[in-house]
Amino acid sequence: MTMIDEAVLVSALKETADAFDVSSEAAQRIVDQMREDEQAPVAGVTRIIRQPGRARHMFMGVAALVVALAVGVPLAGHESAKPRTIVHGAAAKLPPRTTSAGTPLSETTLSGRGFVSTNSKTIQGTSASNSTTSEKIESTGTIAVTVASGRVQSAFNKLSSLAGRDHGFVDSSQAAMGSRAHGSFSSGTIVLEVPQASFKLLVAQVQEIGHTTSVVTSSNDVTSQYVDLQARIDALKVSLNQYLKIMTRATSISGILAVQNQINQIQSQIEQDQGQLNVLNHETTYANLTVNVATPGHHTASTSRSGLNKAWHDSVSGFVAGFEWLVRLAGPVLFVLLVLGTLYMLGMLAWRNIRRRRI
Amino acid sequence: MDDLAQWLEEGYPQSVRTAYLILGNRADAEDAVQEAFLRAWKFRDAIAKETSVRPWLYRVVVNTCNSKLRQEIPRRERHDPEHDLDATLADNDTTDRFAATSDVTRALKDLPVHLRVVVVLRYYAELNEREIAIAIGRKPGTVKSRLHEARRRLADHPALRDSAPDPNSEEVSG
Repeated sequence: MTMIDEAVLVSALKETADAFDVSSEAAQRIVDQMREDEQAPVAGVTRIIRQPGRARHMFMGVAALVVALAVGVPLAGHESAKPRTIVHGAAAKLPPRTTSAGTPLSETTLSGRGFVSTNSKTIQGTSASNSTTSEKIESTGTIAVTVASGRVQSAFNKLSSLAGRDHGFVDSSQAAMGSRAHGSFSSGTIVLEVPQASFKLLVAQVQEIGHTTSVVTSSNDVTSQYVDLQARIDALKVSLNQYLKIMTRATSISGILAVQNQINQIQSQIEQDQGQLNVLNHETTYANLTVNVATPGHHTASTSRSGLNKAWHDSVSGFVAGFEWLVRLAGPVLFVLLVLGTLYMLGMLAWRNIRRRRI
Repeated sequence: MDDLAQWLEEGYPQSVRTAYLILGNRADAEDAVQEAFLRAWKFRDAIAKETSVRPWLYRVVVNTCNSKLRQEIPRRERHDPEHDLDATLADNDTTDRFAATSDVTRALKDLPVHLRVVVVLRYYAELNEREIAIAIGRKPGTVKSRLHEARRRLADHPALRDSAPDPNSEEVSG
């Protein structure tokens, strides 16, 4: 094998490379320029963009990610805003919901495969009347109950009948099948509304349905708010009557319009206050009790936990939620990346054309 | 950092000539070295951590040259032949010595870039194999094999085939 002589190579390269003069002024100029650039304040983002190679690519990647998140998160948030209970397996059946009179009350909505959601605000056949006592108390509570496997539906039936017996009703209910359950619900949540007077009795009765794991109840005295609202409405009604009287005496069009404007404002205010009063009335008439029913080994989202158990379940739930979020985000992110990639390619082509013309 | 500035000033001529041998054009070489020096200045904190600054700076120069050869020069429409390697050679004398130089340089220009770079760094910039490995971001073994391959190809080049010494032949002394 023949090899070129190293001495010849060295000599030839030196002669070729040293054939022209290199001005040292150019080097001095470059170093001066670098020092000037160093002294000149450069904005953070601009400095990063000027960084060559990997740093610039990383910055571009982070920028793309931020854009993707800015687009994706609102979209994902919009979709996830709808609470759903997913029921695995066959189409789910809900326990019949009835009023105290025993007539069916609720509507059942089946969405997709096994999604169950019920909701009803209709009150029928109850003997409860608006509370007129001077004391206005609103009561709420949450109870977690564990029942034997396959007994969730019967527990729902019992809870419905308990609410009916106390002159209350079922506000809403949700039931779900866990992965280990076959043909029956493994957990569910039912919201009962009963007259305030029956609340304590209902709490005691619900605890007998199964093994109670947690009970949380609270009461709030809203008498002052109620009285204030009532007084305000009365005063507004007096004002309204006065304006109505003025209206009958008004002769000019401008006067009539001015009075009419005032009447409209007062009526609007009365309606708003009356709406709030009605809500307070309902909340103080009916107490709200949320019952989470689950079989052993399952739990509903609102079951109270503590310590490591809570931390572990929160962690698992967070992981699953995060993964779901990532999957939801993938679509918008891919779209954004596609758009950014296209823009980048177009920019590069334009830049190359410009540079080609310069050289 | 003043040391770096000093090195850049002192090393500028040799860097330009090294780039010239790699790129084959003086104007491109000056552009490449200017760009390389600006890069080196921006990353001077990283340079300060290096035990050997010289090969690291050559690495910046070589990377810039590679970038120009890969992206810019092939797409160029206008060309400045005045500062080409060939033009420089043609301007020189046509004595035997310069003829030999011209042959070597033409053979060098025909080498693939990755081989040309190691030849220039070894026989012009006078870096050792370990320093060249740093400068091109490869292992010393790769440098060794590339140098071997480059020398073999140069010897096989038509312009140099006759002048290469044959290891099998023995000098006859009279």
